[in-house]
Amino acid sequence: MSYRSIVWVLALILLVPIAVFLIYAFAQGWFFPALWPERWDRALFLRQLADPQLRRAFGQSLVIATGVSGLALMLGYPAARVLELQAFRGRGLIYGLFFLPTVVPSVATGIGLNIVFLRLGLAGTLFGVMLVHLIPVLPYVVLTLGSSLARYDRNYELQAAVLGASPWFVFWRVSVPMLLPSLVVAGVLAFLISWSQYVLSLLIGGGQIITLPMLLFSAASGGNQSLIASLSLIFIAPLLLLLGLVARYLGSPATGATPRP
Amino acid sequence: MAKSRRWLGLAPASIIMLGLFGGSLGYGIAQSLGWLPFLGQRQLSLAAYRNVLAGEQLGGQWWQALLFSLWVSLAATLGSALICLGLLSSIAERQQQYRGLSTISNLHLAIPHSVWAMALLLVLSQSGIFARIGFALGWLDQPSDFPVLVRDRWGIGIIVAYITKEVPFLLLMGLASLRQQGREYLLVAQSLGANRWQRVRLVLWPLLAPSLIGGSLLVFSFIFGAYEVPALVGVRYPEMLATMALELFLNPDLHARAEGMAVSLLMSLIILLVIGLAWRWRRAEQQP
Amino acid sequence: MSYLQIEQLTKSYAKQTILQNINLNLNQGEFLALLGPSGSGKSTILKLLAGIEAPDAGEIRLAGHLLNPVAAHQREIVLLFQQPYLFPFLSVAENIGFGLKARKVAKKLIAQKVAELLDLIELSGMEQRKPQQLSGGQQQRIALARALAVQPKVLLLDEPLSSLDPEIRGSLQGVIARLHRELQMTTIIVTHDLSEALALAERTALLINGSLVADLPSIELFERPPNRAAAQFVGVGAIIAGHMHGTTFDSKLGQFNGNFGPNTFHVAIRPEHIQINNSALQPSIAAQIIERRYLGERWEYRLQAAEQLIVVREAGQAPRDIGQTVDLHFPPQQLFALAD
Repeated sequence: MSYRSIVWVLALILLVPIAVFLIYAFAQGWFFPALWPERWDRALFLRQLADPQLRRAFGQSLVIATGVSGLALMLGYPAARVLELQAFRGRGLIYGLFFLPTVVPSVATGIGLNIVFLRLGLAGTLFGVMLVHLIPVLPYVVLTLGSSLARYDRNYELQAAVLGASPWFVFWRVSVPMLLPSLVVAGVLAFLISWSQYVLSLLIGGGQIITLPMLLFSAASGGNQSLIASLSLIFIAPLLLLLGLVARYLGSPATGATPRP
Repeated sequence: MAKSRRWLGLAPASIIMLGLFGGSLGYGIAQSLGWLPFLGQRQLSLAAYRNVLAGEQLGGQWWQALLFSLWVSLAATLGSALICLGLLSSIAERQQQYRGLSTISNLHLAIPHSVWAMALLLVLSQSGIFARIGFALGWLDQPSDFPVLVRDRWGIGIIVAYITKEVPFLLLMGLASLRQQGREYLLVAQSLGANRWQRVRLVLWPLLAPSLIGGSLLVFSFIFGAYEVPALVGVRYPEMLATMALELFLNPDLHARAEGMAVSLLMSLIILLVIGLAWRWRRAEQQP
Repeated sequence: MSYLQIEQLTKSYAKQTILQNINLNLNQGEFLALLGPSGSGKSTILKLLAGIEAPDAGEIRLAGHLLNPVAAHQREIVLLFQQPYLFPFLSVAENIGFGLKARKVAKKLIAQKVAELLDLIELSGMEQRKPQQLSGGQQQRIALARALAVQPKVLLLDEPLSSLDPEIRGSLQGVIARLHRELQMTTIIVTHDLSEALALAERTALLINGSLVADLPSIELFERPPNRAAAQFVGVGAIIAGHMHGTTFDSKLGQFNGNFGPNTFHVAIRPEHIQINNSALQPSIAAQIIERRYLGERWEYRLQAAEQLIVVREAGQAPRDIGQTVDLHFPPQQLFALAD
């Protein structure tokens, strides 16, 4: 296959599900074996958008994913800096600590933490869910920022310091703009992982925190296809938007985006 | 000063990771050993493990689920690795820049596994879009003529969902090593007289192998332990280990918790074994 | 009391000593070259002075104040790296004004200062350009302007010209020399290039393996290096081993008259001072030419006499043949003693 055709096939595989969701979400009275819907109707989709339960789930997902990505950046940036810019004993061990959670299934970590969080009173709280989302999120943020810092020339910061810039000024006026693509991509990755998380939210949310994936799961077991389609659309819309915004950064190795299975 | 600064930067993230991850592991092991203080049970025993591995009812279920999980994970991993290898070897010689491919592969992240599974359900089910097209073309007369591709007993739906999802991931892993002068090595080999097949076998494969094998192991461990896709496009029987563990854990009978915990720990143990073996193998390869 | 005082400065990385007991003093407005081969520790001295690394021992004082506890951004000593490190996300004007902005100087004043400096480095009108649109030489000039903008008490230049083409390097040397004449800023330039030290600095300190081996007016270092290490670095015609016998220096090459001092075991001479085949001058030493190369204006010959390697530079002659044996004369007044 030629390079262009591979890119096109991949683009198509990305677009087909979106098209399928659009058709199912807006089709009216589309019974088997009709190839094309008779009528289009946006009523169901609009009713979905207005549904208080969906709005609440969307809101909670948004709060959790935004909070998690902020927390992960705040915790992950200093850690990645130390790991990448300094040589010390035990560095491999710490990297291992950030690698293990990426391979241990969240079913295992989730059910292990279920009781602990109940005991600590964190189960069923937004903060508790955010905290537990850090397990799959933080490693990706540290690894992404780390691989971008590996290509980073710290002398820009030293140059700023000798010109009289305080550490705070250096951080905001030099480090952040220099590393901006990587920080943005790491933040988007964090949002995305948290937004798609089902098992951990279920086990720690304890029925009180309802997120979008939970609605999708209950729709899937219900079998209403147009409901599944509208929920899927609502689910992926923010992700498409965010990834579209950072698409030009994603292809560049300097960003260091760590791929994720 | 540098030393205290170092720990100041590392400590928050490491402590949170260690606390959450270690806490979950510790409590998980304790509960799998039957330490369920909320039930007033503080006696440690291997009963849960015995039930899971050799119990009358659960034992059969465990071995079935283990086999099914291995089948699905291996098939999906091998399938996506082979597709990825084929794609990369067909373009590696002519391509210098991989920006477009890398961007589109990254964009696939926008569709999470669960949503992806939903799309497959709508396309591949017996009244899905493919079945409608088949009917329009006159290939089938009723929905049941269409093969059961999702929620099937061979896990075809799960495997298809993972292959389509993991190929872009493996492409990204492979591109990372191709970008570093992959084309130059191939051109050098060509100028030294290597034919197309020799170039693929002697240059491209060694170049891609570390990242593709590493990536495939990540894919395997992910699929082996993931819950969402089998829960959405799988069947109750046979089921995968992750679904078995979570269902046991969420069972109203609180004693099933220990068994759910045991299943999830055994599942994690298998993954860590695979990763550990791979790691040792890599180290042995790197040593002269 | 000197303006900048460096006392017993010592630094090591991972048990490897980089600098050992460095003592240096600079007067206000002085221009010092810190010369040495790569790996000699000269850049480390600048980093310690600028405060981006901490010494293991020793003191740095500026106008009498101890600088050791002062953070880099409060030292008012600006270091210019080998690469210009212009911030790629800022325009030329914003780059030059960076240090002033960090000091919360009013916008209007910054703009004024930037225009002044661009004029000084002859790049007026470039305010809105991005660094990526400039040539290497222009970038380094902007970096210089950015350093000057904050009016540092000491300016440190870490081989700022070494990554540039020779032609641009020459013109930038001119710019640096002119700026120093006009602004009289206390300056240290680090270089491995003797000709750069000679062109720019009135004084040169020579650093080899982490120790200062010479600290002299630049021309003197070139013409009369005080010891063997310095002589080897700046290059001489011959370093002749021997010992004093009264007022003569006995060596394998013969005897040389001169008052070199009682404990002299090596003497040296510059390559351009050795005479070839001048029968009027005696004594002479027979030597064989083993290599030659043209330096432009002069021929350089490598010769061998009694297992001693000798370098001679001779102006304005037709080249002599390789393999030929010639007579060399070492004028006694041009020989100088080397300490060990």
